[in-house]
Amino acid sequence: MHVPVGLKVGAFSLLVMGSYTYFANSIPQIESRPPEELSLEGGTVTPAQLVKAGEQIFKTKGTCEVCHKIGEKGMRAPDLAGVGGRAAKRKPGVSAKQYLIESLLDPGAYLVEGYPNIMPRVDKPPIGLNRSELWAIAAFLESLGGTVDVTLDDIPKTAGAAAAGGAPAELKLPGDPKAGEAVFAGKGACIACHKAGKVGAAQVGPDLSQIAKIQTPEYIMGKILNPAALGTVAGYPKGVMPPMFGQTLTAKEYVDLVAFLLTLK
Amino acid sequence: MRPLRALRWVAWTAFAAGILVAVVAVLTALPAYAQDAAQEPAYRAFPVIGSRLAVWAVAQLHLNFAAFILGVPIFAVIIEIIGWRTRDARYDWLSHELVKLTFAAFSTTALLGALLLFLFVGYYPKFWTYMTSIFFPTYWIYALLFFAETFTVYLWYYGWDWLSGSKKWIHVGLGVLSNLLGTSILVVANSWVTFMMSPAGITESGALKGSVWGAINNFTWMPINIHRLIANIVFGGTIAAAYAAFRFLNATTDEERARYDWMGYVGNFVALSAFIVLPFAGYWLGREIYAFNQTMGITMMGGFMSWLWIIQAILIGILFLGSNYYLWLGMERIPGSERYRKYVPYMLTILAIGFMVWATPHSLIVTLDEARAMGGTHHPFLGFFGVMSAKNTAVNLMILTTFLSYVLYRRANRLSIKPWVLTGMAIQWGAFFVAAAIVVFYGVYGYFVESIVRIGFSVYQVGAVLGAIALVMTIDVPMFRGARSTGAIRWGRIPARSQYVLILLAVTFTWLMGLMGFARSGIRQYWHVYGVMRDTSVDAVTPALGYAANVITIVTAVFFALVMFIFWLGGLSERGKAGAHGLPAPAISGGSEDDR
Ligand code: HEC
Ligand code: HEC
Repeated sequence: MHVPVGLKVGAFSLLVMGSYTYFANSIPQIESRPPEELSLEGGTVTPAQLVKAGEQIFKTKGTCEVCHKIGEKGMRAPDLAGVGGRAAKRKPGVSAKQYLIESLLDPGAYLVEGYPNIMPRVDKPPIGLNRSELWAIAAFLESLGGTVDVTLDDIPKTAGAAAAGGAPAELKLPGDPKAGEAVFAGKGACIACHKAGKVGAAQVGPDLSQIAKIQTPEYIMGKILNPAALGTVAGYPKGVMPPMFGQTLTAKEYVDLVAFLLTLK
Repeated sequence: MRPLRALRWVAWTAFAAGILVAVVAVLTALPAYAQDAAQEPAYRAFPVIGSRLAVWAVAQLHLNFAAFILGVPIFAVIIEIIGWRTRDARYDWLSHELVKLTFAAFSTTALLGALLLFLFVGYYPKFWTYMTSIFFPTYWIYALLFFAETFTVYLWYYGWDWLSGSKKWIHVGLGVLSNLLGTSILVVANSWVTFMMSPAGITESGALKGSVWGAINNFTWMPINIHRLIANIVFGGTIAAAYAAFRFLNATTDEERARYDWMGYVGNFVALSAFIVLPFAGYWLGREIYAFNQTMGITMMGGFMSWLWIIQAILIGILFLGSNYYLWLGMERIPGSERYRKYVPYMLTILAIGFMVWATPHSLIVTLDEARAMGGTHHPFLGFFGVMSAKNTAVNLMILTTFLSYVLYRRANRLSIKPWVLTGMAIQWGAFFVAAAIVVFYGVYGYFVESIVRIGFSVYQVGAVLGAIALVMTIDVPMFRGARSTGAIRWGRIPARSQYVLILLAVTFTWLMGLMGFARSGIRQYWHVYGVMRDTSVDAVTPALGYAANVITIVTAVFFALVMFIFWLGGLSERGKAGAHGLPAPAISGGSEDDR
């Protein structure tokens, strides 16, 4: 039987491409997923959780591992094991906390000996960490051989602006405001003391109906985790707002709750 | 209507429609641009397959065609010039044949371009608005260049008989001009893609800082211009060779077989010459990416894309092996080539080892268990070969070997009659060994120095290889001028499998282009414009290689199906006519003394 050349050539070409395709499908399949803003997946939010979140960011959105290894001297960048302790001795008169934050926001200011000035500013695109992510990652770095004492206020207010690609600095939380409302009225029991728009009527704590207008997201997030640390609202009793939400709420509930509060304008 | 007239009519109409569509699309995009951007959705969803896949497929197809209509004419004009200077009618015929193929692909390219524009405007309005805010002036330049190029190519094609004889220089000038215009189109389009990858000339919020030139002249623009230009020549050559192979396999007479064997040889020769310099252009591009952004460079080479380079290395290895195999098979049609056959196993060994080294992964993402089993992310022994130093060394040696194949092929049926032939050959072999020694020396030395220093070494390696090539050729050309022949090349007497090698090369190269397109685009990850405009659509995930390979294969298959159709159209005009234009196709059978 005579097979037309076109058919033979076509079959041959398909065979060639088919084998390339087969090979490409047989190797490990790695997708590159866009990072989530502030990843607090699983568990409750405590200082230890903050460190955990920082570690997550270190591995994902921060892309730090592209250059840094922990516990292994890299060719491109210093080993970060023990950096939390070593940081205090890097620059005379500069605390560990300040040094670490500086090394994130202005990496060229102090160069570790033997390494080139290639580290990018991590609050600038394309890494573009926002303030709370910087906070988490600073906490994580401190945890590597030092004590975690960094607070959100240590991160300069200007850091992380324009992180989301030209957009003004705004905290984008993956949370679901509807679910957050349920937490507010349900598990969180905030409703026992607070009013928030149409939800609740209690007068024990301040009316939160416009909280997102009068307060920053960082403040709201911090207030839930550690009310005492952020001072007491004038005219209200101290120590009434419960301090244990960081332990009782799961990360998802926390994030949803914040998302809900941020809709209150 | 006669077939050629019909073809011409179809081409014109389709082309005019393409331009019309493009103009309308640009005009409809303008009001959207003027409007408040907030009123428009950032994305719309393409039915069923999704917007990303739609844009991907059309972009790749458009690029394939664009590369075809840019690459083939570059190749054609080189051949026309050879024919003009050597007064060898074969070349003139071949050149005309190639422009005919290009010509038929013109309207398809324009239509695909218009379709791509539609997709951007319709499905990525926010992105398109942003790009327009930066690049609007260049759109006009692009359109004007496209018009100018089309008309020049038309003149070039239809003026073939008219501008012959003493007016031939005008005709060659038209060919050169259409290529300059074609290349300018490429360069303008490159400014857009490279800006997306390595944006420059803009403020932190993404607005244009100074003139549009700052955005055009970004880090990767020039390297991509060079890389794509060279790759287009390779592409044009392999496609022309595949066309010839197809005709060869279909041929019924010895004369036809001889003609298309020769055409395939020339196509492959040009492709191979350009292909040899392509890796150098690739390294330059890679370096500029690192210079633009370390993180991007490292993600590209060691991050989620690391496997991609292994596939790339395999494909390039196949291209090198295939080209060499074709040359070795080709020697069989040359009396006197027996003398050189003994070298083939050695060359094959070098190529095979080079291939293996090059395809060894450097820093792959491995699972924790795999890493523990291997004792680290780098294999204790193989990891050694995965480092850049080894790869550079391997690819340089492969290039040298391929060049040696070519040199041997060139002299297969020739005996130099120059008295200094022994000295000449000694110097040539010396050049090969010195270059190989330099390549290996810096390859090994590279392990003992910092990576910054090591990158510089690749320049010496490349320099040594290019220097050796230049030196060997400067000696070779005079040495074999007026050489005694051991017999004419018997064009057409080559096994049919050689023609399948040509098809393999064309398919592999086209597929490789698709893969590199995925690399260039995927490296931006979840950004439309890296670091400036995020991809917030449902398609922000960059897919894994398997998925990419499936898309590339389907698009490449569609491309070849369309090209086959065009080839078939090209064949139509020959029915009932001896030659493609006035002149009959030249007889090549039995061939000339010349090896080309
Ligand atoms: C492109 C490579 C690269 C990336 C990505 C990168 N770094 Fe660095 N980093 C370096 C280099 C090189 C140094 C040493 C030179 C210097 O001090 O700037 C360094 C220094 C540091 C230091 C100071 C270490 C010391 O011992 O004093 C810290 C802390 C640090 N990086 C944290 C991070 C974090 C956190 C991230 C991710 C958000 C990150 N880096 C991402 C390359 C990188
Ligand atoms: C037992 C009563 C009580 C409960 C339950 C309670 N709060 Fe409060 N909250 C207060 C009081 C009292 C204040 C004001 C004193 C202070 O600032 O500590 C306050 C202050 C606040 C503020 C600061 C308001 C401002 O204007 O600055 C926020 C935000 C807040 N609460 C959120 C919550 C959320 C969210 C929950 C539920 C998870 C919650 N609270 C549960 C009593 C409570």
